Amino acid sequence: MNLEIERLDNGETKILKVNGEVDVYTAPQLKEALVPLTKQEGAKVIVDLENVTYMDSTGLGVFIGALKSTKEYNSEMRLVSMHDRVRRLFEITGLDSIMNIDTTVRGGK
Amino acid sequence: MEPFRMDVNKYKEMLQKYLYTKDENALYQAGQFSKQTMRHNILPEEIINIHIQSLKEIYPDLPPTIDDSLNFLLETMISYGLAYQEFISLREKQTELESEIAVAASMQQTLLSTKKPNVPGLDIGSISVPAHQMNGDYYHFVKDRHQNIGIAIADVIGKGVPAALAMSMIKYSLDSLPETMRNPSQVLQSLNRVVERNVTASMFITMFYGWYQYETCTLHYASAGHEPGYYYSAKDDRFYEMKTKGLVLGVSDEANYEQVKVQLEKNDTIILFTDGVTECRVGERFLEIEEVLEVIKAHMHLPAQEAVDKVFRHFERLQDFQLRDDFTLIILKKQVS
Amino acid sequence: MEIKSCVKIRKEWDIVSARQMGREMAKELGFGTVDQARIATAISELARNIYLYAEDGQIDYEVITEVNRRGIKITAHDNGPGIEDLGRVMEDGYSTSGGLGAGLPGVKRLMNHFDLQSEPGKGTTVTAIKWVR
Repeated sequence: MNLEIERLDNGETKILKVNGEVDVYTAPQLKEALVPLTKQEGAKVIVDLENVTYMDSTGLGVFIGALKSTKEYNSEMRLVSMHDRVRRLFEITGLDSIMNIDTTVRGGK
Repeated sequence: MEPFRMDVNKYKEMLQKYLYTKDENALYQAGQFSKQTMRHNILPEEIINIHIQSLKEIYPDLPPTIDDSLNFLLETMISYGLAYQEFISLREKQTELESEIAVAASMQQTLLSTKKPNVPGLDIGSISVPAHQMNGDYYHFVKDRHQNIGIAIADVIGKGVPAALAMSMIKYSLDSLPETMRNPSQVLQSLNRVVERNVTASMFITMFYGWYQYETCTLHYASAGHEPGYYYSAKDDRFYEMKTKGLVLGVSDEANYEQVKVQLEKNDTIILFTDGVTECRVGERFLEIEEVLEVIKAHMHLPAQEAVDKVFRHFERLQDFQLRDDFTLIILKKQVS
Repeated sequence: MEIKSCVKIRKEWDIVSARQMGREMAKELGFGTVDQARIATAISELARNIYLYAEDGQIDYEVITEVNRRGIKITAHDNGPGIEDLGRVMEDGYSTSGGLGAGLPGVKRLMNHFDLQSEPGKGTTVTAIKWVR
């Protein structure tokens, strides 16, 4: 399964739209796209996960790494439009309590 | 192995026989010859070379264009020969690595081995099978002189060697906890600090820790972002998710772990696992947790060890005997109330 | 008796001249067809590395004679960027040129003797010898 990452920036906000499955094979690709963004002082990063149907613990690891880097560089990261199955992973691991996760479901669908 | 000389005469004979008879047997001989040359690392250009030589001996008046074209073919084979040599050398290296990993895996097994405790009135079954050679899952039992037991089950992000290294760290941190530290919430807090200090930014470990008190038949537990276990109540004949809040180990040194207790009655059962069980993929579909519990329930009447073994066999078969993730399952069954 | 000659490598076409020079010398020395092809391929690989990474360099050819054997010695040198990690370049599965996919480990296999000297920023010298069988 392949992973595609699109950049859809909106003004100052950097938006990453992730499409596909984030697993042990594709996680490095996400890391490469995401972590450098969070290293820009004061940056606002949104990760759109609407088209991510599966994520494993390696994928969670990428977000944990990115979160640690937002603290270091005073930047922000928000995760939006998560599938239930992916959201459950964030809930079980307790990561929903320390990450900015948008709980509103996207309209229109 | 005795040295192998490329015998032009033998090849010529085979070729000649084939050219005159078009016999399948001669082709069979050619096949055998090719296996023999591979065994002795003979390169393709050398085979073409003896082909050219043989052909010239059989047909002394071979048109020069044929000769030239065969030399052309020989030239194109040089890179294939190199690729073949590289393949042989990489294969040797792979064998070497595999045997190193096999040694590491057996060391891991010895290092991380745990003894299933014998507690009156409690039937325990446990199984942990790695998807690859090294296991990123881990479980551990301790028992004190009052028949109380501690149960740890953990899963490291990723698989293979790095996961196994992190597991050893958990095992030694657990071993170094003072005997008086039994409170699951405290155990996790203390492990979290060790892990947080020692792992890279994107690494983490999930862990469930339970403390079973023999006198009161209660299980106290806390979870660091681990796949929730299930409590089966025999009286209600249903499963309850063992909900509790706690962040995975290694992310924040300020994490707190909520502790919950559950009272076990006769035939009540505790089911603990890693996501290798719950994230079981059949074809393109993931099993729902209800389906997983159904399979477990169907085997719960058996002695606990037999039950976990059979459940594993069931899921192994479902996944065509190719585990995608390490699989760990523990069942604790209360027998006498 | 020593015969020395050289071919300068600046354009891709020079790779062909370098091969040809090597093959002719090998033929004269009495190498068989297979070894001629191997020597030409080794030279090709060395010349390609010069062409792709150093832009400017040369291949030297030398007939060497010892008490009981004769051989051809190929020396490729350039003043290019040099190689940082020699061990890595000589590893199987790593190819700098990406060309024939053989790279330097391939040259080592095609010849009987192989030596590599390189310093980052100062260029690379590869020496390879093949003996007449």
